[in-house]
Amino acid sequence: MSAVYARRSVVNIVALTLSGLATLIGLIFLVWILWVTAQNGLGAIKLSLFTKITAYADQGGLSNAIVGSLIMDLMALLICAPIGVLAGTYLAEYASSTRLGATIRFLNDILLSAPSIVLGLFVYVIVVIPTTELTDGRISFSGFAGSVALALIGLPVIVRTTDEMLQLVPGTLREAALSLGIPQWKLTMQVLMRAAFSGILTGVLLALARLAGETAPLLFTAFGNNFMTAHPLDKMASMPVTIYQYTNDPNPTLHAIAWAGALLITLFVLALSLLTRIMFSRKKVSYE
Amino acid sequence: MNDLAAATAAPLTGANAPAKLKVRDVHFYYNGYHALKGINMDIPEKQVTAIIGPSGCGKSTLLRIFNRIYAIYPKLEAKGSIELDGENILDPSYSMNRLRTKVGMVFQKPVPFPMTIFENVAYGIRHHERLSRADMEIRVEQALRSAALWDEAKDKLKQSALGLSGGQQQRLCIARGIALRPEVLLLDEPTSALDPIATGRIEQLVEELKHEYTIVIVTHNMQQAARVSDRTAFMYMGDLIEFDNTEKIFTKPGKKQTEDYITGRFG
Amino acid sequence: MSATSAEPIPRDTEHRSRTDARHDLFFRFLLRFCAMLVLAALLGAALSTLWGGREVLFKDGFRFLFSSDWNPVENQFGALAPIVGTLVTSLIALLLAVPVSFGIALFLTEIAPRWMRGPVSAAIELLAAIPSIIYGMWGLFVFVPFMASIEPTLSDTLGNIPVIGALFQGPPLGLGLLTAGIVLAVMILPFISSVMREVFQTVPARLKESSYALGSTTWEVVWDIVLPYTRSAVIGGIFLGLGRALGETMAVTFVLGNSYNLTASLLMPGTSISSSIANEFNEAVGMHRSALIALGFLLFVVTFIVLLIARFMLRQLQRKEGR
Repeated sequence: MSAVYARRSVVNIVALTLSGLATLIGLIFLVWILWVTAQNGLGAIKLSLFTKITAYADQGGLSNAIVGSLIMDLMALLICAPIGVLAGTYLAEYASSTRLGATIRFLNDILLSAPSIVLGLFVYVIVVIPTTELTDGRISFSGFAGSVALALIGLPVIVRTTDEMLQLVPGTLREAALSLGIPQWKLTMQVLMRAAFSGILTGVLLALARLAGETAPLLFTAFGNNFMTAHPLDKMASMPVTIYQYTNDPNPTLHAIAWAGALLITLFVLALSLLTRIMFSRKKVSYE
Repeated sequence: MNDLAAATAAPLTGANAPAKLKVRDVHFYYNGYHALKGINMDIPEKQVTAIIGPSGCGKSTLLRIFNRIYAIYPKLEAKGSIELDGENILDPSYSMNRLRTKVGMVFQKPVPFPMTIFENVAYGIRHHERLSRADMEIRVEQALRSAALWDEAKDKLKQSALGLSGGQQQRLCIARGIALRPEVLLLDEPTSALDPIATGRIEQLVEELKHEYTIVIVTHNMQQAARVSDRTAFMYMGDLIEFDNTEKIFTKPGKKQTEDYITGRFG
Repeated sequence: MSATSAEPIPRDTEHRSRTDARHDLFFRFLLRFCAMLVLAALLGAALSTLWGGREVLFKDGFRFLFSSDWNPVENQFGALAPIVGTLVTSLIALLLAVPVSFGIALFLTEIAPRWMRGPVSAAIELLAAIPSIIYGMWGLFVFVPFMASIEPTLSDTLGNIPVIGALFQGPPLGLGLLTAGIVLAVMILPFISSVMREVFQTVPARLKESSYALGSTTWEVVWDIVLPYTRSAVIGGIFLGLGRALGETMAVTFVLGNSYNLTASLLMPGTSISSSIANEFNEAVGMHRSALIALGFLLFVVTFIVLLIARFMLRQLQRKEGR
């Protein structure tokens, strides 16, 4: 009898220790990656990063990449936020229990983890190739194409959070507005959206955090550019793509610049994730 | 019991008042479940009618047919007719906007819109009428005064309504409802989420409002029904068991089931 | 209307109702259109890559899938090496990430003191927020040299075991399938562990308590009660991680070594579908570009199926809960 107990308790202790160890492994990798990024990045951050363009190569900076990224991230949000919010609203308010709603919700979850490089190829085929052919090559890769690709990354995030946040709004609020004769569209846009505002905003920020770090969808859509441009139909530099190119370069000075860029982008993305986490934990919906 | 005495001493004994709502053979089904089994009743004009009964008896369901709010959910079906001033509101051709400006509703939990106090009242009006800024201010003030909220709210009209106490929020919802100048006011257990003091204020308010509005109140609190209503309907398992003057229902009910419920033998 | 009287003006409720109904209809149409765009995005991704890769897919057919001869100069495109690379690295990632994720989920739901759970799970989930390009850089500059330093030891120990020894032969380059697999494992760790953690929490307390009441240890409760109860969702979470691993680009591109030679050893450089596309696309023309888009189509179809399975499995637990 006691031998059985002893064996069971040994198994238990071993298993629990291993699980603690697993958690430790996860944390070690997190600290390792962040530490390396901070260490290499901090030493390389200089004023010239923000003032010089990448055309100066190893004495240069990242200013055009920073500007390009900001423009494309913003344009991507302008594309995917309205569409995503409206689509999420459709799921929550009109299709919460229909077959079509279930299908879209299901496929949206798949889009959420679809390979981003394929979304880049998709935009290459539907935006870059047609514009190239229509303009005889004057407009091929463009900041606009990059934004569309990034918008596809952000879209499912916004759809999902909007859907979830609106479903948290109590049904009595809908009944109260409808019993005043308020039509559905006004109720949705002016009452429900306001009630779920902070939740929906969280979704948009979450989408920004995701798309800001993406490299693969930009490779064959925005391409890259060594000069400063704000024109959406020009080839456009971005932080992730520049980091990618500099990392591939044998020149160690460029590696340092890449690390500085990596640190900036990591800080940006982590700050956004922390912000959304705080917003989430504080209150799911501003209502009640 | 003084309240009851006061209510019954008033000239409005009920039976002779003209009917505002004529409910005729109303059946209700959800997902095939037969929730109301042929309700017939006349709701008297400018009086308070209370509907009581154990949970699940169909009292809220009946109330929610009076402004067709049930219709926003799928798979719900009402049959029969309810005449409001002689027109059947269950007829699909009776427009929803018309119905909902004539019949206002207040819900169990206070549900202010996520807007300022002023906007909460003005929002509904604005959808139905074009008013100048000055007229709107008058209308909002009137509504808040009628709901006995003006004195407490007048200095913070521009603040969020979510900052009000529960009782104040519920009075705001009443103000929001009467701002549209309805003829009928439906109250669905309006005090079940409130403390006794806030409840008292709402009941007092109902007493005042009945001079202008026809009020139907659903409540699970029998004392409340006795205090505020002129007529009381007792429902049980989807049937209207008894509908009579409140005093009679609570002192000498005509049916055994009513008596059992009133005396607390079940429910 | 004068300012003094706020009398109701006669309302044209019938007109109002008609315009409201029209606006509602339009609004509903607009919303539905936006929701349809989600479907269009998925369908478009599949169709456009199929179209872009048609020259290679329809000309070469099965040879594209099963030939390992990838030679852009001679217009020979056999995708076996990137396909194998993708599958092998993802498999390594799963083999490593699943037990570790399970350990993390177990620790966070059953063992860790309450105050620790929030911060630690937040930290683990932070791994998912780090952009994949950062994993790539860390992989190339830090993890590859680290692997190069331990690979001789691996070859000397594991390399001597019969059968699986062949997996661990070769020069200590640091680059290669094993390294890429490990980096991927770290990347998908937060996804699998957070699914597991969430579904473990859905196990009704009475189930666990009745097992504890019989004298079970924590491990026995988790292994005999929690895991069987949540099995389908756990498998769903694993497939979700697999979907991520299959499609990941930036983290593996730097550390794979970009080689089309198929070898048995995990220590040798290789390539994957996504890294082939990332590395070659901008220099590719004609058939070469078509072949890369065809690879994209392949990747999309495979991940779609994997993610489809994942979502189905995850939904089964929700059904059980009656959600």
